[in-house]
Amino acid sequence: MESEKAQPVQVVDPEVRAYIYSLVTALGGTGSSDTGKYALGDDALACLRDIKKWLKFYDEKANRMDVARCLAEANLVNRDLIPILMLWGDAVQSDKHKSRIALACLELLVPLTWPLEIHSQMTVNHHRHTLYLQHSQVLYKRGILGNDTTAILRTIIRIALPSMTTPRSDRSSRDEGILKLMLYLFRNLAIITPAPHLATEGDEEEASKSATINAFQQQDVFALLLTMCSNMGDDFNFQDVVILEILFHLVKGVDIKKLFMDNTQRSAAGTHELQNVLELESHQKREQSKTAPTRHGRFGTMIWVKRDDEKVSTVSGQDVLKDDWTTMLKMDKTKKWNKPKRRGGDVDLSVNNFNMSTPLTSSATEHLRIFVEEFLDSGFNPLFTHIRKAIERETDRVTESTPRQFFYVIAWFLEAERVRRARQQELRRQNKNSTREIEPDSFQLVAGVLNQETFISLNRHMQNCLDFKDWQDLNASMRCFTQILLTVQEMFHSNIGDDQDIAENILSRIFYEETTHDRVLAILRGYKDQGFFYLDACTELAHVFLRLLEQYSKQNEHMQIRSRRRARRKDRKEAARSLDTADPLNGDESEGEDLAFSEAERTIVERSFDFQRFAAKFCTQKSVNTFLAFTAYYRELNEEQLKRAHRFFYRVAFKQELSVLLFRVDIISLFYRMIKGPGGLDSGKSMYAEWEELTRRIIRKLVKKIGERPELITEMLFSKINATVYYLEYGHEKQTMSES
Amino acid sequence: ANGANLGLDEEIEVAPKRRPVAKLDEARLLSPAGIPKLRKTAKTKLNFKGKGHEYSDAMRLLNFYQLWLDDLYPRAKFADGLAMIEKLGHSKRIQIMRKEWIDEGKPRSYARE
Repeated sequence: MESEKAQPVQVVDPEVRAYIYSLVTALGGTGSSDTGKYALGDDALACLRDIKKWLKFYDEKANRMDVARCLAEANLVNRDLIPILMLWGDAVQSDKHKSRIALACLELLVPLTWPLEIHSQMTVNHHRHTLYLQHSQVLYKRGILGNDTTAILRTIIRIALPSMTTPRSDRSSRDEGILKLMLYLFRNLAIITPAPHLATEGDEEEASKSATINAFQQQDVFALLLTMCSNMGDDFNFQDVVILEILFHLVKGVDIKKLFMDNTQRSAAGTHELQNVLELESHQKREQSKTAPTRHGRFGTMIWVKRDDEKVSTVSGQDVLKDDWTTMLKMDKTKKWNKPKRRGGDVDLSVNNFNMSTPLTSSATEHLRIFVEEFLDSGFNPLFTHIRKAIERETDRVTESTPRQFFYVIAWFLEAERVRRARQQELRRQNKNSTREIEPDSFQLVAGVLNQETFISLNRHMQNCLDFKDWQDLNASMRCFTQILLTVQEMFHSNIGDDQDIAENILSRIFYEETTHDRVLAILRGYKDQGFFYLDACTELAHVFLRLLEQYSKQNEHMQIRSRRRARRKDRKEAARSLDTADPLNGDESEGEDLAFSEAERTIVERSFDFQRFAAKFCTQKSVNTFLAFTAYYRELNEEQLKRAHRFFYRVAFKQELSVLLFRVDIISLFYRMIKGPGGLDSGKSMYAEWEELTRRIIRKLVKKIGERPELITEMLFSKINATVYYLEYGHEKQTMSES
Repeated sequence: ANGANLGLDEEIEVAPKRRPVAKLDEARLLSPAGIPKLRKTAKTKLNFKGKGHEYSDAMRLLNFYQLWLDDLYPRAKFADGLAMIEKLGHSKRIQIMRKEWIDEGKPRSYARE
């Protein structure tokens, strides 16, 4: 701090700094007492309120961060606020003065820990202070979580306890405000993470997500959250969105599979992971040594590549002696020019990014798992039903990021529920000796998000995101839809008759709307530079959707879907006026509305569903391109993802007989590289064999095709036009010339 | 004497023009070194071994394309060049040409339909 003052340039107005420092000094301190206990200043409460006023009327009004900066430099939180909260021990609960002071501390803690984001409307001041403040927030968090004598979080809960116990009808706006303050503090703590580019002194672990989870467990924050969630709608009403935020920041990026392992499994998984990494490394080493020079670097081999017209190219290095393929790769590698590329997939730096995975320590995993299980048992349905209604009503507390968090958290918990069930079954299988017949669980616990209302709002949200190009939001809702489909599928195979009926009903509703089919297709086909995680989500959705639809349409031979078609032009003008009132996504119109609809721009017709036709729409050049972009990440893909891509290409080539779509030089080159390297798939893995087989079959087909139709040589360079695909595949024109 | 005032004797500085960069465009692709050459040489250069030799066949095919592309447009790497050509394939002119090439290969009776 001293060096700060010595600087000629003042970051903060010196007068402001003087005021703030005098307030902080007057607050109290440890110096005056012999016991080393914190002694409150005479007018501590007034000081706290003054500081709050400074924050409000200087920082907020003028849109500066100067006061916050001064408070960070004076280390108000760790040096004063936390010791003051510690004074408020169990003994003095009824002391009115002290409880007021504690509340005033909380009122300061919340704005000081408020998440700071880089946004577009930043002033010079923001740029000057944000990094410093982010850094000090990490220190605040460490101070709050890592206090060894007093549980600060529990103390904070105690501040709000009187307001909580008051029945909702009697609660004053002040009480609601206190509840809000407490929850916001917990949310802030859940958000603050050590910035990766900032060096923190001391142990970084103390402010990590694991530390947060452990503290939340030990200091009863989880218990509080559970109470509030399970009473959502009864005793609590306005807290839902904040709680959702807390949940979101706790669970984002957490690996669910690891969560539901016991310790031995987890350590086994850890070892397995390490083994995998080591294997990967040795695989890479082997690859490298295959092409590595066998002699020293100046051995100076050079070869000629004979070309047409008596031309030759020269390539140097011993590795090129191996085969033509390596020679060609080397020739290619030595070219200097690169095609300018668009920056792919803008990286979401905000705190609402859920694509970063965060590892947890084993104790934190255990604590989080207990919380997740209890939450699923009691809080899931009330909370999510309540938030869905809030979002639909567009209440004030719903923010821009609420839908994203809502759908992501639903997706996360649905997956958690599925993994938990799988684990329970596993455990039951192992302990067969317990003769007691165990009731199979129903899916009642997550039914709150498996109703028609949720599907409607999910569909509407997905369509909106797609229209407005909110890719990250669309990503969250795609994950949600995928998880719903997977859950329903599991429900379908449940032992309980009721569950089967419900699942059947849900599936028929989901698949009844042709707009849903079209949307899934549009998302898959419309991929363009949205980044890997988006790719992952959209290919997974398409994969799951198609597979389920296939099963379902096989079981229901006379499946009907509702499709909308354009009416004749005459009707369209008349309908233009009535169109505004009609909600095109509403799923349950009465008959009267149906009549109105037939006059609207689009008419609704029921027609029988033909899976083959749908699958054909699914296998187009654009979806091939999307899956190709996904497969290009093959080195980073896991087994399940590789399988997904494999199934798709298999479907295109052999189920739909559209292998022509795959006959493109870049596709063949990618497939070849995946198998033969350099940097190919690990031949020890099970997916390698499947891909090898697929590629082999595709190439065989290709070679045969080139023999039959030499014009494929030119077409190999391009994406095929609809009109020619059929001819290339079968050698004659389609009978109906509708597509050209 | 007046000439000096008019500035006729002063040297005019001409900024050296940048040499235009060769482009991989429709014209180049349709030139004799482009697709016509590809079509012509494919028959002689590509002799596949067929079943059981899938991967060596694929390598032969890929090398064939790479050498052709290197002759046509040496500046670009293989993958980049392929992407550029693929993009050109969406243009109207190339599409018409592609249709023609395909029709040439068709048996007469089908071509007339």
